[in-house]
Amino acid sequence: MISAFLFRAMDRKIVVAIAILVAVGIFIPVSSVFLPESSPLHVPTYIMQLFGKYLTYALLALALDLVWGFCGILSLGHAAFFALGGYAMGMYLMRQIGTRGVYGDPVLPDFMVFLNWKELPWFWYGFDMFWFAMIMVLLVPGLLAFVFGWFAFRSRVNGVYLSIITQAMTYALLLAFFRNDMGFGGNNGLTDFKDIMGYSVQADGTRGILFMLSAFMLALALLFSSAVVRSKYGKVLVGVRDAESRTRFLGYRVERIKLFIFTVSAMMAGIAGALYVPQVGIINPGEFAPANSIEVVIWTAVGGRGTLIGPIIGAILVNGGKSIFTAAWPDYWLFALGALFVGSTLFLPKGIVGTVQEFLAKRKEKSAAKAEQVAEDEAATAGEAA
Amino acid sequence: MNFKSKLTGLALAAAMSTTALSGAFAADDTIKIGILHSLSGTMAISETTLKDAMLMLIDEQNKKGGVLGKKLEAVVVDPASDWPLFAEKARELIEKDKVSAVFGCWTSVSRKSVLPVFKELNNILFYPVQYEGEESERNVFYTGAAPNQQAIPAVDYLMNEEGVERWVLEGTDYVYPQTTNKILKAYLMSKGVAEEDIMVNYTPFGFSDWQAEVSAIKNFGSAGKKTAVVSTVNGDANVPFYKELGNQGIKAEDIPVVAFSVGEEELAGIDTAPLVGHLAAWNYFESVDTEANGEFIEQWHAFTGNDKRVTNDPMEAHYIGFNMWVKAVEAAGTTDPDAVIDALPGIAVPNLSGGYSAMMPNHHITKPVLIGEIQEDGQFDIVSQTPGLVPGDAWSDYLPDSKVLISDWRAPMSCGNFNVETGKCGGKGS
Amino acid sequence: MKRPSFFPLLSWCKPMLKAIQLFLVAVSLAVAFVATDLRAQDATPEMINELALGSYDQTEETIKKLAATGDTAIVPALEALSEGDLYVRKADGQVFIVKKSGKNYKLTDPLSGEVAGEEPTRNFEKIKVKNSLRRQIRSVVGGLTLQAKDASTRLAAANTIIKTPDEDAIDALNAAIEKEQNANVLAALEQARAASIIISSRAPEEKVEAITRIKNMGGREALSLLLGFQGQADESLKPQIDAAIESINSDLAMWDAAQNIWYGISLGSVLLLAAIGLAITFGVMGIINMAHGEMVMLGAYSTYVVQEIIRNSAPHLFDWSLAIALPIAFVVSGAVGLVIERLVIRFLYGRPLETLLATWGISLILQQAVRTIFGPTNKEVGNPSWMSGAFELGGLTITWNRMWIVVFTIGVFFALLALLKRSPIGLQMRAVTQNRRMASSMGIRTPWVDAATFALGSGIAGIAGVALSQIDNVSPNLGQGYIIDSFMVVVFGGVGNLWGTLVGALSLGVLNKFLEPYAGAVLGKIIVLVLIILFIQKRPRGLFALKGRAVES
Repeated sequence: MISAFLFRAMDRKIVVAIAILVAVGIFIPVSSVFLPESSPLHVPTYIMQLFGKYLTYALLALALDLVWGFCGILSLGHAAFFALGGYAMGMYLMRQIGTRGVYGDPVLPDFMVFLNWKELPWFWYGFDMFWFAMIMVLLVPGLLAFVFGWFAFRSRVNGVYLSIITQAMTYALLLAFFRNDMGFGGNNGLTDFKDIMGYSVQADGTRGILFMLSAFMLALALLFSSAVVRSKYGKVLVGVRDAESRTRFLGYRVERIKLFIFTVSAMMAGIAGALYVPQVGIINPGEFAPANSIEVVIWTAVGGRGTLIGPIIGAILVNGGKSIFTAAWPDYWLFALGALFVGSTLFLPKGIVGTVQEFLAKRKEKSAAKAEQVAEDEAATAGEAA
Repeated sequence: MNFKSKLTGLALAAAMSTTALSGAFAADDTIKIGILHSLSGTMAISETTLKDAMLMLIDEQNKKGGVLGKKLEAVVVDPASDWPLFAEKARELIEKDKVSAVFGCWTSVSRKSVLPVFKELNNILFYPVQYEGEESERNVFYTGAAPNQQAIPAVDYLMNEEGVERWVLEGTDYVYPQTTNKILKAYLMSKGVAEEDIMVNYTPFGFSDWQAEVSAIKNFGSAGKKTAVVSTVNGDANVPFYKELGNQGIKAEDIPVVAFSVGEEELAGIDTAPLVGHLAAWNYFESVDTEANGEFIEQWHAFTGNDKRVTNDPMEAHYIGFNMWVKAVEAAGTTDPDAVIDALPGIAVPNLSGGYSAMMPNHHITKPVLIGEIQEDGQFDIVSQTPGLVPGDAWSDYLPDSKVLISDWRAPMSCGNFNVETGKCGGKGS
Repeated sequence: MKRPSFFPLLSWCKPMLKAIQLFLVAVSLAVAFVATDLRAQDATPEMINELALGSYDQTEETIKKLAATGDTAIVPALEALSEGDLYVRKADGQVFIVKKSGKNYKLTDPLSGEVAGEEPTRNFEKIKVKNSLRRQIRSVVGGLTLQAKDASTRLAAANTIIKTPDEDAIDALNAAIEKEQNANVLAALEQARAASIIISSRAPEEKVEAITRIKNMGGREALSLLLGFQGQADESLKPQIDAAIESINSDLAMWDAAQNIWYGISLGSVLLLAAIGLAITFGVMGIINMAHGEMVMLGAYSTYVVQEIIRNSAPHLFDWSLAIALPIAFVVSGAVGLVIERLVIRFLYGRPLETLLATWGISLILQQAVRTIFGPTNKEVGNPSWMSGAFELGGLTITWNRMWIVVFTIGVFFALLALLKRSPIGLQMRAVTQNRRMASSMGIRTPWVDAATFALGSGIAGIAGVALSQIDNVSPNLGQGYIIDSFMVVVFGGVGNLWGTLVGALSLGVLNKFLEPYAGAVLGKIIVLVLIILFIQKRPRGLFALKGRAVES
């Protein structure tokens, strides 16, 4: 059954995308780590790290696209799930520092020592074990999404109301994590990581692996999303998006359908966050900022919502643009970015991928029409001849 | 904007940076200096000035013939008040642009974010802002004030000169105020101040409705003892805070407020008439009356083309840090970070308040501490100055786990957190 | 900021008024020689000149010496010193009270009050002063002006002594009380005497009455005095003092609750002001207008520009600056809104989510544009004199700027309501947003109405900016600070309903201010957000939900 489920996912575009991701996931780390710097194919660590970051953003955008593009739930709080996953990973990495912190306390992270905390808060227990942290990466965002969605979807909060309360959620979390008393390092967040599973986070090899994992995870998520979207459940999902009341009248439990996809999407965002943190080396409450969530929406829209490849392309393009602009025109880059957003809404309302698809579809239609015309003509001539 | 061209542009740029990196880069005959200050986002208010100040300093140095016979070249990037982006941009500056040193960061979190990058790629960061201390790294040079160079002298002044007995510690809820207030509370209690005479309160970033807080201060101040407010309120929230203080009629003669993050730049956005007499503690004020400062201000006005631009403490910190770097490079004869890091401790350069500041082995510097009163024109009148220079203390003596630590980056110790109790480098555990 | 000297009286801020008063007093004193018996000797110009010598400690000594003369002629000099207007001529060490006039100082002799010509500013050096000196001056001046001619000066003197009671002042107070005619001043003088008696070393019996008087005075100052005295009071007085403190405290507790409500209303009105423009662009038109905050910012910058122009060319109009800025801000933000609507938003009707994207881009552009034009730092927007300071209402302290903002907000709200409900264009706006096609069929030019509505919403955001410039930073980030709260308010109140926005803003404001004292500002805000989330579960369409079929779409 599972194989059938996955098999359905395999349309040509998805196969190509997954193949590219896997190839990139293998080639870039290998070239970065093993090829000498003089080789023309060598990818510098800087570029690899940058693209590693983009891949995690792409995963986040894909997660958002599942709920927004396919189910019509515009979440303005998806960065919160991303950040929670990141914090879970960050807490594991903090515990791994052990006695190498500046105060050398074997248990307490540095920020607790200098704020005079005497013992580890209860919610930090268990994070010294990798498997526990990984479960938390899935569980914490998933649980939050489940509880939040349970209430919201049952009371039929939708449209902008839902968007705004997801924003309220991430804003509240932002403020909460800023508080030093919460025990997550306040504004400074978690940083100065040393090891992950015994390997130094700064070693090129570890970075290569992390990059590879990001690429593979994205490929896996793409496969999974594709399978979900193409399943019967996926059809209902789109039904909810396009005509929620009608779907409900047809007998579907709309709130359950929404809840499932919302929770799954939050978990995907959590995974993205967990991959993001060891690659950038810091997690702090800034990740909860409502503006971050809005940006995710923008990546998705620019790439093309309602398509699976779109958000990936959007995330990489917008962030790549940001990286280049901030260095090239430090004083004016916001103009470029702003214009990009305005321009893409006006001229590419379906996003890049959507527009390309439309273009291709039209051409196909045209050639089909042409073929038909030819066939008709032929038939006509044949008739005449007869 | 066309997307296809964007796409190709991106690909091209990526390809270019790749080849540029793998190609030979050493042929350049300039020395590059990275400037890592936010030019957009919430911190742009404070940091943009520092970028301009650095450009001016580099410009001046080039007029003098550069360093080691080479011209200096500034590489400016915009980390956009986004902390992970700071790390990315730091890596870009060091790996791609091959800068010899970086001057940048404002918030502690931005420094924490770039720290691993500087350690890994072994480069130098000059950090110009007052901060909470509790850090000493080989690759970072702290030219701003540590708590003992700002907070403690200010409290001493209030205690001795104003006879303050009751204290409000008002701050924005993040690490700098929390740590500073911890240190201050321990310090005050060691001076015999009772716990009930200290009120600690925190507000969020960018807080703008101060009515209740200011009236709480007023109430706390009406207990028959002389009261003062020690404010570690962060940048943006200060303007509404001071406006409310002025409007609710809290006069400096009754309840003085001493601030650690309010300088000339922040006051430029407020009508200071109702605030005359409130205090700030810094290591530099624009009103410092020395020849060097007069010259500096003149240069600044000429460079920005604006007679009204003010100077402030972090600018002086960059002035000191930059001159120290130049001197160290000339002493070492190379811009190689290792050599410069080794050459820097012990180097002394003139500061703007009429003395010399020296880089100490713990990578902090010696500075005078000035207390100033706000004037009607937005400047400060200096009412007190420490007799000598105060050396920056990386590890506070008023926090239990930190007082056993010292820092000395010279060989043979070469350690940022040497524990004098265990006699080992690396805190208390190892 | 120094303002030129040809200001009309109206716009001088309070210290100036006080200085003028004191000047008049001084002149009258000099002529009439009113104060007499306290006077030990005349103050000489040499003694005044000594103020300019040496360190703060020396200045303190000199002030003491001057005070010992008991000569009221020193009052203007000391006041000027405290205000930072006392300067010394570098050439001969002569001290003057100065007033800036262009590149010169207008000089006034500190003792005689005679005008002493004009000289270039560079010849002078300011005599430095600090808080402890200001306090010293305040109490010296308070003691000397108890019998001044002007009633308000006497009142100020009495109030100074209440603040800093002094045993030595009791005799002077007795003398002043005997002569006093004005009932208000008399009460203050007696309170001042009571305060001085309480802290004095006199016998406990004398203090009993004083304590009662202070208790009846009530308020923070009385509490402060009694608390300060509590520790060192004679055993026999303790029960009385404790009772007095308790009675004052219970009074204050009641006022505190009222004060919190006021703070809440005030915060609520700020929220309402910030959100009201959004209630139109988002609430009525359905555009997720992320550039709303930037419209507010543009209004604040318009105020800044207006004030700059006024400062440079017509300083006497400064008190009118906000009134002048209002229409300008409305036009500027409205025009920018109009341009945005015509260029971008009109292509996006019916696609609300995409307006989010486009307006977000626009907000980035506007922010950076303002940053490029005006620079990234805060701009100073001054408070006109009628918006500075506070007044007491019973036990409430109400600041003028908050008070005017509340009034202004109410005005804007009802004006807008009237416009929408009672005017033809308002009718058209409602018609178009409720049923576009029907409205169009009835001959309404819908595109024109759309543009006008968006411009109206933006313009109102602009005038909100004028008000917010009075209490917040004027910086490129100004709008970012309000956008999220504005959306919360509109959604909480119910999209498309102005009354909902009003009630939403006020209830969030009051709730926030009631939580703040218990939970702290940070936690308080978190709790409010969580409550909003929970509330939306109960009422998924906000406080005042629109009903009917239009809701579903």
